[in-house]
Amino acid sequence: MTMNSPVKPMTMPLVITRMFDAPRALVWKAWTEPEHLMRWWGPEHFTAPVCKVDLRVGGTYLYCMRSPEGQDFWSTGVYREIVPIERIVCTDSFADADGNIVDPKTYGMGDDFPSELLVTIILEDVDGKTNMTLTHVGIPTAGEMREMTQAGWNGSFDKLAASLK
Amino acid sequence: MTTVYEALAEPTRRRILDLLRERPRMVGELVDVLAISQPGVSKHLRVLREVGLVRVRQDAQRHWYELRPEPLAEVDAWLETYRHLWNARLDRLDDYLQTRKEKEDNHDNE
Repeated sequence: MTMNSPVKPMTMPLVITRMFDAPRALVWKAWTEPEHLMRWWGPEHFTAPVCKVDLRVGGTYLYCMRSPEGQDFWSTGVYREIVPIERIVCTDSFADADGNIVDPKTYGMGDDFPSELLVTIILEDVDGKTNMTLTHVGIPTAGEMREMTQAGWNGSFDKLAASLK
Repeated sequence: MTTVYEALAEPTRRRILDLLRERPRMVGELVDVLAISQPGVSKHLRVLREVGLVRVRQDAQRHWYELRPEPLAEVDAWLETYRHLWNARLDRLDDYLQTRKEKEDNHDNE
């Protein structure tokens, strides 16, 4: 059986939801404007010395996050979908300082680590607060991805992952 | 070279893994359940064996295919890495939003 559906992102079940006690417009700014991003991008004690954002479909971003020891982690990606204050879909890859995608191994990731991931951020207004759903999925480059179905993947993977525990 | 992610990306292969999770099976049985041709099933099993998700145990004339979950630990590990990283970032975003909100509230009260 061949499915002719367009490429769908593979939904690895890395889904994180958070409720922020802030209006959606502010959360959107925090995600999309460099002066805001630089204030929070990266774990505690990290800094974000570079955040470049070209917020349009097909535009790219380049972020640098610096560890307390001074090690830089660059990441880049392309915006695939932008719905102001509601939704961003972008790719996510390890990069160098010039914005070139680099092999995940450069950053000490395993051989099998995907070179490109897809991030979807959805913001929903809940009585003046903002519920954010962040999905981070791996994107294999094989043509077989075109036959992916979201439901099938989720179900199987959840069960398989559970069987590891 | 096929990666574990690519192997898992194909729906039929995920169904095969689900079936093997229940118990080891022979090709014929998979052909019956999946209702696809034997060469088709064999091709998928070959990919799954290549990435180490399935192994074959021979018992006299029979070939039993069984699940080998170890490579999934790697997939799980990257999820964990990212979950940790995102949560750490989002803690900071939360703090930042609070700071911003207080600023704006103060501004409104002025």
